[in-house]
Amino acid sequence: MASAAGTPVDDACVLKFKELKSKRKFKYVTYKIEDSTIVVGNEGAPTASFDDFVEALPENDPRYAVYDFEWETKDGCKKSKIVFVTWVPDTAKIRQKMLYASSKDKFKRELDGIQIEIQATDFSEVEEQVFRDKCN
Amino acid sequence: MYGGDEVNAIVIDLGASAVKAGYAGEESPKVHFPSCVGAITRDKDAAEAKANGGAGDARDVEMAEAGADASTTPKKESDAGSKSKANGSDATRDLYVGHFALNYRRENMEVVSPFDEETGLLSDWDLVENIWRHTLTDRLHIDPTEHPVLLAEPNFNSKECREKSLEILFETFQPPAVFLAKNACLSSYSAGRPTSLVLDVGYKSTVAAAVHDGYLLQKSVSRSRLGGEILTDCMQRSVESKGVNVRPRYAFKRTESKQNKGTFDVKDLDDYKGTTTESYHRWSVEQIVSDLKETVCRASENVFNEEEHANIPTVAYELPDGTEIQVGSDRFKVPEILFNPGLVQTFPGAEAIANPGGLPMQSVTSLVMESIARVDVDVRKELYNGIILAGGSSMLPNVRERLEREVLEQAPGQARVKVIASQNVMERKFGVWIGGSILASLGSFQQCWMSKQEYEEKGASLIHLKAP
Repeated sequence: MASAAGTPVDDACVLKFKELKSKRKFKYVTYKIEDSTIVVGNEGAPTASFDDFVEALPENDPRYAVYDFEWETKDGCKKSKIVFVTWVPDTAKIRQKMLYASSKDKFKRELDGIQIEIQATDFSEVEEQVFRDKCN
Repeated sequence: MYGGDEVNAIVIDLGASAVKAGYAGEESPKVHFPSCVGAITRDKDAAEAKANGGAGDARDVEMAEAGADASTTPKKESDAGSKSKANGSDATRDLYVGHFALNYRRENMEVVSPFDEETGLLSDWDLVENIWRHTLTDRLHIDPTEHPVLLAEPNFNSKECREKSLEILFETFQPPAVFLAKNACLSSYSAGRPTSLVLDVGYKSTVAAAVHDGYLLQKSVSRSRLGGEILTDCMQRSVESKGVNVRPRYAFKRTESKQNKGTFDVKDLDDYKGTTTESYHRWSVEQIVSDLKETVCRASENVFNEEEHANIPTVAYELPDGTEIQVGSDRFKVPEILFNPGLVQTFPGAEAIANPGGLPMQSVTSLVMESIARVDVDVRKELYNGIILAGGSSMLPNVRERLEREVLEQAPGQARVKVIASQNVMERKFGVWIGGSILASLGSFQQCWMSKQEYEEKGASLIHLKAP
């Protein structure tokens, strides 16, 4: 039922994602559900840091986000993966939680090229270390 | 396909101990009443005799509580729905659904449950139908033909049960559309985690189930006999072993003393003896002990130890008849059963606890571990990180913290363990219902309904495709 129940997605969402993926124009893009459509929230320049990304997540409202995560492996090799984050803080309204949970699956499938997925409900789950563990 | 923006769907969660129902899109259920039903079986002769005499019933009506909501007063012979053939024999039974109807003691009234003792699934469809009718017509006051209905169903529901539910709903109430959703999926949605492990500590049993991207992983479902019923039962045994007699509300009359304002006289009523059924007595006492349990019990932070807890300050609780009891270490010992089921044996007479389904007496922690072990290795990490605690019996304080600690001890080293439980009492208690409420009101969900037309064309088995 998750796949069937999906909120319509604004075209700009996929467009921005492609720019992040192919042209690396952004470090991250966040998405939100507004007037029962998924729209682009905000985006970070390629130079943005991880902290900038965390700051872009509101404390009490859910968001979806994609993040172009780069790290260095033990033997000094640079790698990168695109991480999809579902940000649903515990303090969000229950209706919001539900809406984001049920629309996620379909939305994620529209963004072709996601390698890693993270579900986060508090800030301890959006830390660089968590991302690195997940990617390795 | 069933569509339209204003659907006004009804969400019904028929649980082992209580029915929760209301309009989709609202934050809490409008209706909440026990899911067991009062039944008086009359054989044919008696029914005829009563029709002639009719004295017994006139008295019933007279004595019904004045404060009782008119809509919940049980219907008498005039309504064919509440009178039905029992077990295909000549006997008929009058059913009394709802809190008020049940709280009033009637001669020879048995308390029966629509669930099968062995499977934990719905089996007495006659009762189910009456519960649904009571919900839709008597309590919500709606015309069922105008509202689609979303039913929450047990994670381990059988195909036959699902089809039977649909048949009865469509044939009897004729709603425009119906959908069935698994409890665990609804809980995971209402917590905002489409991938999670849901531990539902219910009344008759506890169920752990993994949900992945909104779908239940059937092989992960594991069940234990533990639940609110056993905890209440042990609480009662412990109280009674101390010489306290828990008097059900119908067995006495409590009035303010005329001479001494502020004090109460308690008078035993004798006329109830002999005509009250065993099951009704048990139900009435259970209501009281259950409240006692919810008021005083809390899970211990570490493994419970009788000696260590012997010096715990006691807590006072006043029974309805005014008897004050002191509860000491049992406050911690009773909830400890969830984590250490072996403790049940230490309560006097506990061998008698019924377990017809043959479910294992498994601790909640091992249930979680077992369920996680049954799913794919790739998903396990994410499940450890999103264990959702649901169900009425998980409401006792400290259960969340204790579970988190125990799972952390047993989980593989690199796993991050997080047990999620809403702080809001309503969200916890009605989690499944709220999940259904929001799901059924989402604009994008409306294409998922199974409509009456589809039922008529393709039959009940279509539901397995529509709602896997």
